[in-house]
Amino acid sequence: MSVAWQFYISTVLIYLGVDVIAVWGLNLQFGVAGLVNFAFIIFQAAGAYTAAVLTLGPAQPASQGGFQQYVGGAHWPFPLPILAAGLVGGLLAALVSGVTVRRLRSDYEAMVMLVVSLIATSVATNQVGLVNGPNGLALVPKPLATLVNLSPIGYQWFFVGLTAAICVCVYWLVHVVTSSPLGRTLRAVRDNEQAAAALGKNVTGLRMLAFILGGVIAGISGAVLVEFISAWSPGSWLYPETFVYFTAVIVGGSGNNLGVMVGALLVPVAFLEATRFLPQFGPPGLIDALQWIVVGALALIFLWFWPRGVIPERRRRFPAAAQDEMLVGTRE
Amino acid sequence: MNTIVPAIGFGLVTASILAIAGVGFTLQFGVTNILNLAYGDIMTAAAFVAYLVTSAGFSVWLALVAGAAFGSVFSVLLNRGLYTPFVRRGTRLFGMIIVTIAVSLIVQNGLLALSGARFFSLKMPRPSSVHIAGMVFTTVQLAIIAIAVVAMLLIHLLLRYTKLGKAMRATAADPDLARNCGIATDRVIDLAWAISGALCGLAGVILVMNVTAFTDTTGSEFLIPIVAVAVLGGIGQPYGAMLGALVIGITTEVAAAIFNPEYKDVVAFVILVIVLLARPQGILSEIATRKEVAA
Repeated sequence: MSVAWQFYISTVLIYLGVDVIAVWGLNLQFGVAGLVNFAFIIFQAAGAYTAAVLTLGPAQPASQGGFQQYVGGAHWPFPLPILAAGLVGGLLAALVSGVTVRRLRSDYEAMVMLVVSLIATSVATNQVGLVNGPNGLALVPKPLATLVNLSPIGYQWFFVGLTAAICVCVYWLVHVVTSSPLGRTLRAVRDNEQAAAALGKNVTGLRMLAFILGGVIAGISGAVLVEFISAWSPGSWLYPETFVYFTAVIVGGSGNNLGVMVGALLVPVAFLEATRFLPQFGPPGLIDALQWIVVGALALIFLWFWPRGVIPERRRRFPAAAQDEMLVGTRE
Repeated sequence: MNTIVPAIGFGLVTASILAIAGVGFTLQFGVTNILNLAYGDIMTAAAFVAYLVTSAGFSVWLALVAGAAFGSVFSVLLNRGLYTPFVRRGTRLFGMIIVTIAVSLIVQNGLLALSGARFFSLKMPRPSSVHIAGMVFTTVQLAIIAIAVVAMLLIHLLLRYTKLGKAMRATAADPDLARNCGIATDRVIDLAWAISGALCGLAGVILVMNVTAFTDTTGSEFLIPIVAVAVLGGIGQPYGAMLGALVIGITTEVAAAIFNPEYKDVVAFVILVIVLLARPQGILSEIATRKEVAA
């Protein structure tokens, strides 16, 4: 395999890893707990930003050759920025869910989340002191690059391994949550809120928990991405990107961790990467526009023909308990 | 002071556009129970229709009618052809929101593909400016305010005094009960799409009458203040939306004059958050409590 192909394939694999982590987070919120978080990308962006500034080191004033300004720079060694990113994603999710999930009916919640997403981009772009405005951050040092001392292509594969390791950790987390009694309760809340509340479940607390866990995972996925591409700018975290993840969850199979993984492989990766190999045609921007149209159409087609996705959520049956059937079996 | 009074003038213009758009949005959701996030993009599409009409040499008034007609027909077809079939198939609230976002992306990028990411502006006679009580308006802006006042008056008359308006309010309050009372709810919902779609198209055209240039994202960018207006007034409350439009329109423009124009949307959002924290059911809460907004 030529070096160029190796570069390409390793890059795609890393993107796949990032997308898989992200859809697991979104699936926890949307698929398992039934929360519609249209600001998902913002939590990913916040994590990415955290990881970037904690790797970049303190901001240099322009007089000393610094070309970007940001808050709270530090030189933390490798795994810490990613963990901090998860923490920040979780804290932000706690803050947002405190206002939305705790207080609002779900349709309001969805609308407010959409607005949060649009506003966050606008603030990040206009408030230059905060995240360096529309230019964002650049030249984020690659993790462990000086330590492992590999050739560029060797480092690519090293990063693939790193991403895979993080994927395994995150999978373990989501698997523990979804297969435990906690996961069962979350699905019960999703399917029949009143019944779950009547059985003494703390519906709001459970929802907030799912939201925060999703935020943590989103933050981690953003951190992995930014450590790899070593640049960050508010323009790459717009709300249609959230829609791509939603499409991945729906196509893959909402509520099923393996399903959404397939969804991440099909939608953000296979689908958006495939267009690279198309010949350029039409004015610039036409292919991008068509790509978005196709993603929209894909979501519609799947919601119409296969609303449960490629690998549907397993129907859980519990013998000889009619009440349990009502709780978990009514999803149609 | 000398920046604030003209800013209130701008605020009235923005409030007029927001009132038309917001009342359409809130009526649509209230009666049809579909949160149509493609609303902003249908506004843009109507603006493009108006652009084609004015480019063909017709007057701006005809463009307004054409935009409203397009919005109306497009919304009815969208509901009949896509939204209703999905609802009948059992797509639930969250699924429907995703359906509308998919439509929004398709419409917006369809327009982008057709228009080629350029800026457009309506061909209009050059407006003259008018001074009223320290505020400066162009004749176009005065026309916008007049259109909004007339539209709001018509909506008021429709909802209060016609059978259709009563049927709409009944359907919004409880569709099953309305159907059992002999109201042809399907027809009412069709008409609700037609009327709210007309408001949507009209809002799209007057939005681009007020700006120097527009592009494929103009309408969807306007969705934030529209949502803020609808939530502020209590979703599904046309009168609340009118009041919300005044509040949001004037405060955002005054804030833009005092701080920084880039923060218009942020101010709208801050108001939204405060309202959600203090009165999640919207400012006109007496009529809204029945819809149990707060969880």
